[in-house]
Amino acid sequence: MKVGVRLPRLLAAVLIVCLAALMAGFAGGGSVQAQAPDPDSLVHDIAKKLNCPTCAGISLADCQTDTCMQWKQEIRTQVVEGKSQQQVIDYFVARFGPTVLQEPPKQGVVLVLWLLPVILLIAVVASVIIVLRRSTRRKADVVSPAAASKESDDYISTLEEQVGKS
Amino acid sequence: MKHKSLFIVVAAVIAVALTGLFVISMVVAVQPGNRPVVGSPAPDFKVSLYPSYQAGYPKDIRLSDLRGKVVIVNFWASWCVECRKESDALESVWRQYRDRGLVVLGIDYLDTEAPAYAYLQQYNTSYLIGADLQEKISRAYHITGVPETFFIDRTGKIRKTVIQAMTQAELVSTVETLVNEQ
Repeated sequence: MKVGVRLPRLLAAVLIVCLAALMAGFAGGGSVQAQAPDPDSLVHDIAKKLNCPTCAGISLADCQTDTCMQWKQEIRTQVVEGKSQQQVIDYFVARFGPTVLQEPPKQGVVLVLWLLPVILLIAVVASVIIVLRRSTRRKADVVSPAAASKESDDYISTLEEQVGKS
Repeated sequence: MKHKSLFIVVAAVIAVALTGLFVISMVVAVQPGNRPVVGSPAPDFKVSLYPSYQAGYPKDIRLSDLRGKVVIVNFWASWCVECRKESDALESVWRQYRDRGLVVLGIDYLDTEAPAYAYLQQYNTSYLIGADLQEKISRAYHITGVPETFFIDRTGKIRKTVIQAMTQAELVSTVETLVNEQ
């Protein structure tokens, strides 16, 4: 009896603790969002999304050439002016083209390249299903000799019965 | 038999997909056209000139608008150390020959505006300057880097290309020949 009373209380306590933790988490998250973003980290985040214009495959954030240092300075200037991450990226795309992006926009040929593995997977699965279905149908079409002979015997006996009656 | 046909179908699908990938990668990788050579018509392009660097020309001009003049198309950038070596010479030649039909057109390559303006002020540049937006001009000319210069005669043909910083003597020698042609 005591155990029966304690269990709902225990569950309620656990629920309250969980709710409190969740609320604290939300409150904490909110306070982080309310803070102004650190310019250095924002510059780094933006630079991570852009390519070094003169060295292949390296992000702007990881490059220390004169060009990249200048570009990073431009990002910093725009961040300090209050521009958002997307506004800064849009500026670079407008000025230097979409190849400046580390991850090109999923349009045109790039979209096809993204979709191709999915299309390939679907095609392979569809092919396997079609081939398996065909082989199953063939199996069903082939009647075993024992079954055929039984069907034939039944037919003959029925026929004999009908003839005998008449 | 069943497994064999299944294998053939799957292999065919994979082969078609891989061929498609190869074709797409070729289309993406291969840029149309080649680097323009001496004697060929200079690829036409449109450029928006920086304010204060229009030298009396409209803001948006095309290279073909300059037909009848000798044009030096000079690719440069403020971060380019070598470009600094020829900046004074380019300005000097422009001032010396502009009344005889020379236009110097600086194409600012992979550059940001603030450092570019600082550079131009430092060298008292007064000739035409515009940005190579989206790298359209540098791609059309297939440049290998900066500085790189194309000399275009009055008929719009490329007469000389230089892939390094030039001295004033080199510039004068080429320009003198071209401006004397009618």
